[in-house]
Amino acid sequence: MVRRALRSSRLKKIKRVAPSGKTVTHYERRRPGRALCSTCKGLLAGVPRLRQAKLHKLSKSKYRPKRTYGGVLCPSCLKHQLRNKAIGL
Amino acid sequence: MLFETGRLCLKTAGREAGGLCVVLDKVDNDFVLVTGPRVLSGVKKRKCNIAHLEPLSVKLKMKSDAGDEDILEMLKKETELLKKLNLTIPSEADIKKWESQRTEKDKAKAEKAKIEQTKKEEDKKKAVGLSELASEKKSLEKEKKPVSLSDLASETRKLEEVRKKKESKPKEIKK
Repeated sequence: MVRRALRSSRLKKIKRVAPSGKTVTHYERRRPGRALCSTCKGLLAGVPRLRQAKLHKLSKSKYRPKRTYGGVLCPSCLKHQLRNKAIGL
Repeated sequence: MLFETGRLCLKTAGREAGGLCVVLDKVDNDFVLVTGPRVLSGVKKRKCNIAHLEPLSVKLKMKSDAGDEDILEMLKKETELLKKLNLTIPSEADIKKWESQRTEKDKAKAEKAKIEQTKKEEDKKKAVGLSELASEKKSLEKEKKPVSLSDLASETRKLEEVRKKKESKPKEIKK
């Protein structure tokens, strides 16, 4: 059997060919799912599917849209909130 | 009409969403000219769709030709609105500082745009030069005129004269 740390389903098994010619299994972490809107749970565009450590190494313009609450709210939910804000003013 | 000159609005879509803006002029049934001013809220002077604007209850008395300075003076009276939006009207010194920073950024952008344009023109010239060479070759091939009988006769006469001269000369015997 493989050692215990490599037996989980969180790891993905990939077969690679070594320079000697043998096929060898490599282990990688799985990608996370897509980002969701905090209110309507719809899919958000402009947010790549990466783990936190790699995501925040990108520049700010590459991991979220350049809009208020970009990466948190979808544009339709943003419109609703801004309209409610304007009524209160 | 809701969206008239002087009406204050909030932008609900785009990069400038949540920003305060003032309507300047009507362009179309669907579009309207709008400014921030940019020093205050970050909204540029450009046209905007009416569906992306939410009107407020405040309307300023102004003309469509008003400048940013006149708009800022009129907005000083609306203190409650500015408090709720967490906006402060900048002083003249702040405006000058902001404009100087803006000009540096705009200059850098203009230089980049010039470099890209020169590259595109050079690529076009190369493509035009290659196409000209190809067109010249085609034109030379097409210009081959049909040979007439008179030309053929004159050429044969010349060749016969050359042949006779060669035959008249005796061959030199190599020792």
